[in-house]
Amino acid sequence: MKNTFKQIFRTANFLIGFIIISIVLLFITIYPIFNPGNPLRMIGQDSFTPPGTYFSLYDSLDVSHVYTFRLEGADDNRIYAKLSDTDREHIKEWLLLFNDYDDIFEIRAEDIDLEDTEGLLGLWWEHFDPEVRFDNMTIAERRVFARLDVNMDRLFDFYDKEVWMYNPESGESEYLKSVGTLDYVNVSDVANVRILPLGTDNFGRDTLKQLVSAIGTSLMIGLIAGLIATGLGLLLGLIAGYIGGIVDDFIMFFTNLFTVIPGIVLLILISYSIGQEHRGATTVALVIGLTSWVWTTRAVRAQVMSLRNRDHVNLSKLSGHSMPKIVVKDILPYIASYVVMAFILQVSSGILAEAGLSMLGLGPATTESATLGLMMNWALRYNAHLSGAWWAYYPVILVIALISFALNMINTGLDRVFNPQLRG
Amino acid sequence: MKKKQWIAFLVAVIMLVATLAACQNQEAPAETDPPPVAEETPEPEPEPEPEEDEPEEDADVTRELPRDETLYVMGFNWGPPNGWNAFGEGNMNNALAMEQVGRGARLPMFETPFMFNALDGELIPLLAYGPYEWNDDMTELTYRINPNAHWNDGTPVTAHDAAATFTAGREFGTDTTAAFAAVIDSVEALDDETVLITAALTDDGAPVNPLMILTFLGQNYILQEAWLETLAERNDNDGAAMQTDPGEDIAFSGPFGPYLLSDTMVVLVRNDDYWGQHESMWGTLPAPRFLAHPIFEDNAAATVAFMAGDIDISQVFIPNVQDLWLDQGLPISTFMEDPPYGVPLSIPTAFFNMHSEAPGIDNPLVRQAIAMAVDYDLIIANAMTNQSPTFAEVPRSLMNPTAGEQAMYNQEEVAHLQWEGNDIDGANALLDEAGAVMGADGWREIDGERLSFVASAPYGWSDWEAAIEIVAAAGEQIGVQITTYFPDWSVYNTIVTAAVHTEYDIFMMWTDDASPAQPWSRIRNLLSSEFVGNDNNWSGNWGAFENDRVDELLALIPLETDEDEIRAMYTELVEIYLTEVPSFSLMYRPAQFHAVNESVWTGFTEDGDGRNVPPLNAVNGFAIADLFNIRPVN
Repeated sequence: MKNTFKQIFRTANFLIGFIIISIVLLFITIYPIFNPGNPLRMIGQDSFTPPGTYFSLYDSLDVSHVYTFRLEGADDNRIYAKLSDTDREHIKEWLLLFNDYDDIFEIRAEDIDLEDTEGLLGLWWEHFDPEVRFDNMTIAERRVFARLDVNMDRLFDFYDKEVWMYNPESGESEYLKSVGTLDYVNVSDVANVRILPLGTDNFGRDTLKQLVSAIGTSLMIGLIAGLIATGLGLLLGLIAGYIGGIVDDFIMFFTNLFTVIPGIVLLILISYSIGQEHRGATTVALVIGLTSWVWTTRAVRAQVMSLRNRDHVNLSKLSGHSMPKIVVKDILPYIASYVVMAFILQVSSGILAEAGLSMLGLGPATTESATLGLMMNWALRYNAHLSGAWWAYYPVILVIALISFALNMINTGLDRVFNPQLRG
Repeated sequence: MKKKQWIAFLVAVIMLVATLAACQNQEAPAETDPPPVAEETPEPEPEPEPEEDEPEEDADVTRELPRDETLYVMGFNWGPPNGWNAFGEGNMNNALAMEQVGRGARLPMFETPFMFNALDGELIPLLAYGPYEWNDDMTELTYRINPNAHWNDGTPVTAHDAAATFTAGREFGTDTTAAFAAVIDSVEALDDETVLITAALTDDGAPVNPLMILTFLGQNYILQEAWLETLAERNDNDGAAMQTDPGEDIAFSGPFGPYLLSDTMVVLVRNDDYWGQHESMWGTLPAPRFLAHPIFEDNAAATVAFMAGDIDISQVFIPNVQDLWLDQGLPISTFMEDPPYGVPLSIPTAFFNMHSEAPGIDNPLVRQAIAMAVDYDLIIANAMTNQSPTFAEVPRSLMNPTAGEQAMYNQEEVAHLQWEGNDIDGANALLDEAGAVMGADGWREIDGERLSFVASAPYGWSDWEAAIEIVAAAGEQIGVQITTYFPDWSVYNTIVTAAVHTEYDIFMMWTDDASPAQPWSRIRNLLSSEFVGNDNNWSGNWGAFENDRVDELLALIPLETDEDEIRAMYTELVEIYLTEVPSFSLMYRPAQFHAVNESVWTGFTEDGDGRNVPPLNAVNGFAIADLFNIRPVN
């Protein structure tokens, strides 16, 4: 036994899969300790907030220790934040259009220096008129220029900003402080800071926190589904293979029946008929388990049939051992390795089946639990892939792929040890 | 590691990469959402028609349609269309060519006497010439048909056509006429040009509802008398058969006529002989030669085509629509550049089901508590991605956010009743008052029975589903268990429109948006007991709320002419609505979403351009004016 384990852990495939799964498990155990709370809580009011560190603007004004930094290029950064390269291109575009439109104004493309911020803006401020409508100018184009104009308002005015507090009861405003361009605060001094490594989803829920919880749920669904499928498959396979005869025919009749119906169709029909109000994560796991036992049954039956006429089994029979004893002592050990491997694959396909079901809207209820499939479902419905909100679905895809990859690696690693044909 | 193992590892890595790539590619096809187009009139099951056009042919047609002469629209039609017969509109599923609704009928092919402008409530003559006229006691309305108007076969449109359309509609029982049968006694032709509409009268000789007669003018098409006779003849005067006849030979007066009808596409072609190019109407032909509506599988597919510039006008809900121009720099615009981006005319509402046996739902305090706990700002920012004003901007009432309707009630008088939402303390206090005590399991109970409700919306209508999820999240905070359930639309609508249903305790439905009869018609649609217990009830009050005073006020308002009196009655209705809470509005919503991609066409309506054309996608009511204003970009 010890030797077998040693052998298993020496297989590279197994090791890779094992390490990945361990890291995932470790992560989902530790992360909630540092970031506790309900993962389904809608914290953000906006949908698809991008990943990053968010600090309260309100609280940052109250930080007592304000530091002064004279950083090089700070003003340039300020200008660039309001006036990007694309914006400069837009200014040039407008000036050239205006050149064609206005008889007096004349400028050539090569005279416009995109690097010369002041020169560029000088031209813009002197000539831009939101009322001017060029021929065939679309609504979209005109709005681009109008937004640009608003954005560049007071671009060079780096004056101090004053903060006033408004008291709604007295209706009066009270001067608090003034903020200059050299003032900095340390983020750790701000009372409310929230790090969102993967932003928020369409409901404004912390994506990473939800992902961690979803991995847990999905693994659980996979485990339950795997246990049921393997358990059922093993039991039926053992009975059919060992007893044979009419019992075998009967079981195989049903097994064949289930084999020809595509599993996913069965899964969809059952999930649909249960109705969403009863569809918790456990129910979904049950349904998946109950629809995926067929292949295990067939494989186990085939193995048992070849085992039952072996000499040691016949010897046991002659010795008067009872059937359960023979099955447990003389047959199970020979197929145990296969069953473990089948189980691992069932877990993996259970996770994928849940993802598939939830994508179709037949998964567990959204407010009750987070699962990988549900996260994908909502990201898709709110067009995350069209609006560039990669954080809402890419990590989920990655995790699903990683988990099934790891489980499959474990499986091939075990195969290498147990399968006599591959053993070398 | 041995060589073999290295190869195995390499293969595994390749597989991982392939899996990732495959997952990404599979995204779009995996989406099976049916279209979330709440405002589209639901169609009965389409009749199985032998389809003439093979899919291969469709592809050829798409290639043949010259892009710079074709205006592509989407988001009206889902599922295969069945014909061109506007007399049997409900059976055609051809929403590009026909839809007769209060916000303005769909006008490219068939025309109404007047065009309704949803922006200001005006009725603008189309087939009619000059304004309509009431007699003194508003029992008779007359208008004249434009003498220049003619059908596509060259024969003039006459008052006889108007009379025949109504008479045939009533005789053969079309849904579009049935909606007005109670308010219109007859439509007659006084001569070739003059149409007389006589109002149905109450027992004391007053017109039943003049507002609805005005709605009729902008909602119901005029069809050709001669064609209606042909239709009746070939179907042996069988009303049902007449309404399922595909009507390929139908006469039309609008600027476009039939070109192609297939499972994937409806195309109209410009009628270059259109009467409206006469100076008394538009003075010109529409700019596009073809008007095409591809039928997409779902919103996502339609949106992808719109973003790519293959579609010019989109009627689907696009979450975070501003990202399309702000982040992606696409030549896409909405009516307004800033939130709410469109003109909110309807008020999607969650109804409490009065027939439900769930404990507590019969108690107005419990209903109000749930409604008060809901975070509406979250719904508007999240589910609607800010494409709705907030309830702080437009406090809840029975009115839509337009200035005209807001002026119809006394806001100060009901201000103390207008909750803004996310008020957990207030909701808990109400529940305590209602005698709902917190049980050991964290859920409240009334008389030992847990407050537990099923909240529902049709599957795939993402903004409604998200909103219902947020309602459920609010329930959790006040100890009321709300389970969400999203059945398929076909199941959902059958249940909700049944005479009595108990499956859903809280469920989403729409409200009326715009018509000359608003806000009266919307209030009737939300609260009138006349719809309670009706089979196949598509008219409203799906939660079966009953209140005698409401019914009384609904009967009085259409006949009242004193504006102060009308205002007082509307205020009282709002007060009843906010204290009885038979339903609660979750958001405001445009009657139709409207976004344009100006890759090929420009000159669409926009807020503040002085043209006053409503953003109803260039086909509904006065929005048709856009077809005569747009021009190619290049």
